[in-house]
Amino acid sequence: MAEESFLADDFLRQLMSVGEVDLLVGIPSYNNASTIGQTLQTVEESLRQNFVRERVVILNMDGGSGDETRQLFERRSERREPSHKGLTTLRTIHRISCEYDRSPSQGLALRDIVAAADLLRARACAVISPATTNLTPSWVANLLRPVYRESLDFVAPLYERSRFQGLLARDLLYPMSRAIFGNRIRELYSDEWGFSGRLASQCLEQDVWQEEAIRARPEAWMAIKAIGAGLKCGQYYLGPKTASAAASGPDIVEAIRQTVGNFFWCMETNQSTWNGRSNSQPVVTIGPDHELSSDGVPPSQEKTFDLFRSGVNELEPILASILAKDTHAQIKAIALTDRAKFHFAGELWVKTLYEFAASYHHAVLNRDHLVQALVPLYRGRLYSFLQEHANSSPDEMEGQSEMLCQEFERQKPYLLERWTAKRE
Amino acid sequence: MKTVVIQGLSQAYSNLVHMFAEFLPRLLVMLVIVAVGLVVAYALKTILRAVLHVTRLDRLSEEAGASRFLRMAALPSMTELLSRSLFWVTWSGFILIGISVLGVAGLQEQISRLFLLLPAIFVAILILFLGLVTANFLSRAALLAAVNAGYPSPKLLSWSIRFVIWALAISMALEQVGVARQTVIAAFSIVFGAFMFGLAIAFGLGGKDLARDFLERSLGEKKREKYEEPQPL
Repeated sequence: MAEESFLADDFLRQLMSVGEVDLLVGIPSYNNASTIGQTLQTVEESLRQNFVRERVVILNMDGGSGDETRQLFERRSERREPSHKGLTTLRTIHRISCEYDRSPSQGLALRDIVAAADLLRARACAVISPATTNLTPSWVANLLRPVYRESLDFVAPLYERSRFQGLLARDLLYPMSRAIFGNRIRELYSDEWGFSGRLASQCLEQDVWQEEAIRARPEAWMAIKAIGAGLKCGQYYLGPKTASAAASGPDIVEAIRQTVGNFFWCMETNQSTWNGRSNSQPVVTIGPDHELSSDGVPPSQEKTFDLFRSGVNELEPILASILAKDTHAQIKAIALTDRAKFHFAGELWVKTLYEFAASYHHAVLNRDHLVQALVPLYRGRLYSFLQEHANSSPDEMEGQSEMLCQEFERQKPYLLERWTAKRE
Repeated sequence: MKTVVIQGLSQAYSNLVHMFAEFLPRLLVMLVIVAVGLVVAYALKTILRAVLHVTRLDRLSEEAGASRFLRMAALPSMTELLSRSLFWVTWSGFILIGISVLGVAGLQEQISRLFLLLPAIFVAILILFLGLVTANFLSRAALLAAVNAGYPSPKLLSWSIRFVIWALAISMALEQVGVARQTVIAAFSIVFGAFMFGLAIAFGLGGKDLARDFLERSLGEKKREKYEEPQPL
């Protein structure tokens, strides 16, 4: 078996002693000692409440934590607590902890999870993040159930967001992925998701696990693989999400490097999946397909504008090698406008992103550098968005978001034109 | 008297004929060597070009930023440059061998000295090329990191890195070919030392507040005024 080559002997032995399972829950961890116990408890509770007859295994894949995360997981696993609230499972819930590497990598953790799913012939799997502090038993069940009972192959979560949260996802990743891959999955980049054993086996066959783009963020690639293979994808509304203070997520630069870099890489390696698609299709959605809460005040963003302006100025030769002449000229022109009148139009934003994607394809410069050069422009768009929507209602913001998605779809032929054009 | 002149002329003529008789075959051999060299060099150039196309060197060169410099200097692509270099180095080698066959006095020694220098020149070119690529890559990485982090004078930082690597590469290349070795080392030490000294003075005078701020933050006496951006994901 292919997976035998990279799975540790001890881990393999433990998996073999489990035998076949119906459900697998993977918990990738790195220094999550403060929350791992609660996460494990919630997952167990969910399995006890919702999957009484199913054979289940919970895997903790650790990336070399220095704070006893694994030990805490193992200690909790050894403790056989009496069932909560009179609920009991008819099967043993197996718990296995393994260190996949000495440094954290979501991709390598997922590789071991899908290998274990393939080996144990799991029908439905879920990845759960121990950094989520408001995880409830229903979350785990809602990610597993559509796969296990409704034959979906990939289930993305849908979170309730405050108006000014997750703007990279709302203004770039969702509309662009929707236009490119034709599926309206809102949260392609998330810490929790569900997938089928069939998809796990297909992903395991791919020789991509050492790719930098996959090591950091493998989840969108998995969804795109499902879309490409014609498998059923869906999304489940889970509610609001809060993360522990220690894991508040990457900053803008790192987030863009990880997600946009990964997305461009997925475009590059899955061209046949997307270049023939013209429109987007809705996916199976359980619960509301978006939920914006009206709370949250727009953060003060004066420095964001300064960083945009200085970035456009300082990175001029780099941007000139990435963007078309007129797009570059338009960006330079708006960077000179007065802060109060500043507006980064959706049309220009879409054109900019498509030119970045095409330049990534043509490798006009080092690809990581190219993605980093997008950061100042994203800041400009962010500033414009925050100014425009300081007093907008969630419905108005959603309306704007939909218009942006349509703009991405409208301009897709332009992307194809740039993508296939020979470089000067 | 007349006889002596005629004898001298006939001697000179026979010497000339003899010299030509000796020289012409050598010239012919030289021309054959040069022609064979041309064919070999062309074949090597074609092979190298094909190999480099397969290994996608041009794409790597684009990514590393070396192609931009080549375009700025009106030079061809990396693949073309390397294959043409190989062509000329090979053909020049054959031409030198051909010239040495002529047996012209004084030239032999110069040619053997040139032959001895050839590997060093090749290594020096390689050092310069690697220096160019490294300087370009690292200076761009520094520029992007500094711009995105909002540091002041990102271009200065980027150019400083580029300058240091260029200075190092050029002095290494010159030392490799053995051009005024002592002078090169001394010049490099002076330039590099002056640069570092300048930086030290600049930081010392211009950045004393920054240094104080850094030390205070490092010692935990002062909290950094963190620039908060909305959570992107």
